[in-house]
Amino acid sequence: MSVDHVLTTCPYCGTGCNFFLQVVDNRLVGIVPCKTDEISLGRLCVKGYNAHAFVHHPDRLKHPLVKDGGHMRQASWDEAYDKIVAEIKRIRDKHGPDSVIVLASAKCTNEENYLFQKLARAAIGTNNVDHCARLCHASTVTGLLTSFGSGAMTNTIPEFGDADCVLVTGSNTLEAHPLIGARIMHAMDKGAKVIVVDPRDTPLSRIAFLSLSQKPGTDIAWINGMINVIVQEGLVDDDFVKARTTDFDKVKDLVRAYTPGKVEEITGIPKEKLMAAARAYATSPKAMIAYAMGVTQHSNGTNIVKALANLAMVAGHLGKESTGVNPLRGQCNVQGACDAGGLPNLYPGYQRVDDPAAKDKFEKAWGVALQDKPGRTLTCAMKDAMIGKIKAMVIFGENVMLSDPDLTHVEQALKELEFLAVADIFMSETAQMADVVLPAACYAEKEGTFTNTDRAVRLLRKAVDAPGEARPDWQIACELGRRLGSKGFDFSSPSEIMDEMANLTPIYGGISFDRIDKELLRWPCPAKDHPGTRILHTQKFTKGLGTFSPVEHAPPAEVPSEEYPLILTTGRNLFHYHTGTMTRRSPMLERLSPEPYVEVNNSDAKAHGISEDDRVSVSTRRGTITLKARVTDRIIPGSIFIPFHYAEAPANRLTNAALDPIANIPELKVCAAKIEKA
Amino acid sequence: MTDFNPTILAFCCNWCSYAGADLAGVSRLQMPPNVHVVRVMCSASVKPEYVLKAISQGIDGVLVLGCHIGDCHYMTGNHRTAKRIPVVQKVLKEAGIDEKRLRLDWVSASEGEKFQTVITEFVNDVKKLGPSPMRSVRF
Amino acid sequence: MVEEHGNVAPIMIPKGKEIGKVRIDVPYQVVTVLANLYPWLSKGKIAVVTRRCDEKAFAEYFKRDLMDKSRIVMIGLACGKDQIARCRCTDPVPSKVHLGEPNKGVEKDDLAEKLGKMPPAERLDFWVAQYRKCNKCFGCTITCPVCFCDDCVLEDRTFVAEKGIPPGMAFHMVRTMHMADKCIECGECERACPAEIPLLTMRKMLAKDMKELYNFTSGDEKIVSPLNTTLDGEPMEDECHEC
Repeated sequence: MSVDHVLTTCPYCGTGCNFFLQVVDNRLVGIVPCKTDEISLGRLCVKGYNAHAFVHHPDRLKHPLVKDGGHMRQASWDEAYDKIVAEIKRIRDKHGPDSVIVLASAKCTNEENYLFQKLARAAIGTNNVDHCARLCHASTVTGLLTSFGSGAMTNTIPEFGDADCVLVTGSNTLEAHPLIGARIMHAMDKGAKVIVVDPRDTPLSRIAFLSLSQKPGTDIAWINGMINVIVQEGLVDDDFVKARTTDFDKVKDLVRAYTPGKVEEITGIPKEKLMAAARAYATSPKAMIAYAMGVTQHSNGTNIVKALANLAMVAGHLGKESTGVNPLRGQCNVQGACDAGGLPNLYPGYQRVDDPAAKDKFEKAWGVALQDKPGRTLTCAMKDAMIGKIKAMVIFGENVMLSDPDLTHVEQALKELEFLAVADIFMSETAQMADVVLPAACYAEKEGTFTNTDRAVRLLRKAVDAPGEARPDWQIACELGRRLGSKGFDFSSPSEIMDEMANLTPIYGGISFDRIDKELLRWPCPAKDHPGTRILHTQKFTKGLGTFSPVEHAPPAEVPSEEYPLILTTGRNLFHYHTGTMTRRSPMLERLSPEPYVEVNNSDAKAHGISEDDRVSVSTRRGTITLKARVTDRIIPGSIFIPFHYAEAPANRLTNAALDPIANIPELKVCAAKIEKA
Repeated sequence: MTDFNPTILAFCCNWCSYAGADLAGVSRLQMPPNVHVVRVMCSASVKPEYVLKAISQGIDGVLVLGCHIGDCHYMTGNHRTAKRIPVVQKVLKEAGIDEKRLRLDWVSASEGEKFQTVITEFVNDVKKLGPSPMRSVRF
Repeated sequence: MVEEHGNVAPIMIPKGKEIGKVRIDVPYQVVTVLANLYPWLSKGKIAVVTRRCDEKAFAEYFKRDLMDKSRIVMIGLACGKDQIARCRCTDPVPSKVHLGEPNKGVEKDDLAEKLGKMPPAERLDFWVAQYRKCNKCFGCTITCPVCFCDDCVLEDRTFVAEKGIPPGMAFHMVRTMHMADKCIECGECERACPAEIPLLTMRKMLAKDMKELYNFTSGDEKIVSPLNTTLDGEPMEDECHEC
């Protein structure tokens, strides 16, 4: 009888808590929080405590499956691999390598994502590789790359606990990042001013020092308004602006028009509250901004992120303890998937594919010629597939049939494909449409690293064996690479893969499994003896000087009309994770939140004759879903909220695929909807 | 608070106190309004969770009525209740809610008048305490 | 506990293997850790490094036949002064001390004293402000050694009406009620709470009430819970262990 306590990283949100999986004879029997973990401090959220519950679920995919005459049948690994390779080669030969796209996965490890993009670039010959960051923080990457030169969280999670002021916007922190929310509450208990700007009344906004409710899609207006107040009241950090930034004058001129009165008109935020918020943020010595989807998932998401960067720069809250601009990344490894190059225009480490020096380096390292044209993003690829420009997709661990906007078109796009291969741990809605399904190992069944939102590279340690014939994605990627005739896919362990990646990726230069086995390292960590970096931009920004970007408010792509009078905003709830493939198979989590629902404001409900628990149908120009109503004052009148976790009432059937032009991120947070009793 | 009419929840056991309540009604005994009677088979089946949920949602008072000790249809059911309710009262007290909002008493099937007395007394006591503080608490 | 991967981890050392260097300073709740493993450990004796609170937790398990007393060998660990102060522990010395130096317990919990003297309205405000931070992580329930119901009522919408978070007063009052005759004041709930709600203080206040009402202290195998005895002290059936 063997009993083990295996220290590993949580597969849910981007906080990256560590805990012990209790294993008895290859079976997970429980979870013990790790009391000495710097990030979680021995605490977990309800999903973390249930992170073992789905692993042994009977629905786990155990054997490769091949679609034969319309239905799935079991196949051997050889048959499955052969089919994938044959189809990719056939389609590539006929239509060119850019007719194939590989979807990397924010739930797979850094090593696996490194291999996925190597597979696309070196083995298939295309830069078409992307992953779900496109749906969540793509605008963070583009926005902060422009403003600071680095698209990641500038400070660290523990620093939230010591801040004097935390400005939280577009983040329901207590539900989406509970342990980060816990740090913010700790700061609050010590007297910090927590300011929440959100159209919804979230658990954090109810206990915050100041809570402001803006109309969805009006974020640039209130951010510019805050900068206006800071300039007017002489609260600008002149030293910082002069020494560390450029182009301030452009922003100073532009925000003149965003007076508190004008901002109130656009956003609905009362003047006095805006001014109080601006003063509190600017005058607190240690003020942090935390933000998430409410900022990024807009058709002008990149601009909103740039506006937040402007705000932080104007007040000088960067490069010091408990300051900074802190995007809260959602998935356990979305930061890592970006770092490892799972992006169409960037190699690992954010080196551009169209930069001749970078291209040269990778060509030499991989021994193969590479394309210099950036590839297609996930959201564009769906549109491309509809018109036959993309013919094949290899999807690792993503359920696009529930997570992408405008599901009706996603379904059509996938049906148009000549070939679809999916590697996953459960038969997701996307896997059901595939030609070949590969059974993958989950986080508890392999070694690897996840990079959390504060850039800490954390280890996964294997606790149990994968069920049936399921294999870790890195082995799948290696086999596919080899069979496609490529060298450079002969790895015998994830540690070796990380070594290769570290060699080519300056920010991961000093990362190795040996080191992170015993210490917490955050990138940039360029050398073997470098201690990692907690705070970014301390002396200068990654690009030298920070750039102020003047951005104007613009209305969302789709505003309410007579036919569709309400604003629909989508998001998450505490108990479930994304498309629910894991959490809905965890008994406790499913018990706590078993059904889909739409949050409707009391007055709107009354106007439509809707009571609590009534079945209602919600429609937009793209589709209709039926679900239960939750009548509450937690959403402002005129808006409704639907969590996107439930396959039986998929919120994304309703959402708008209007994309931010630079980041290609869809406007999942605003579209026009109507509601009626079903 | 002369015009405050408290909302009261009264759990009455089927064999004794509910029958006593019936008797009070049939005998046309005057009783204050706003008392919601819930019949349970035994006072012991009143889980503390019911009481605590009701109070947390703003009920002004909860009354639990069972058979006299020694007369419980299920032998020791009312013993459980007798031991349990004082603990629930302490939970309320420590949370800052007045213990007197929960009362336990014994009423037999033939005690219509006692039922009337207990109800009237309890409603008056709760009236004096005022509306439950949980009514104005917003989580 | 041992040092592993730069952290302190719980460990179960099989018979015959060297024990090696052990850490006793980080307060993991070993009874909870064992409770998850116990159903799978079909035979053999298990030695456990137990603090006084763990000893009491075991007593609650043995009392209810949830663990076989003859299989547990307790290695008594006396807590250091720091830990005693953090737990506001009044009873820190196990029956037999094999590790550590025994120290005196603390007299009282300052916050409990303060709350006891507050007028009720103020006390309610205090707890509401604390409970508003709760985000239903269930850490208090999951890490609690004496929380052993298979079907937790707190997960049932019938008893906790709120669908989202925070879960309202009922959640916490129900938990306090269920713990009234079981809590051994180990403080794990408070340590596990991300919102840093002073749960241990509330437990201590109830423990004082239980002592006054029924002269009851938990953690003694010979004392049956007053909620499971008649008014004359006769034990009654205890199928569900809830109260």
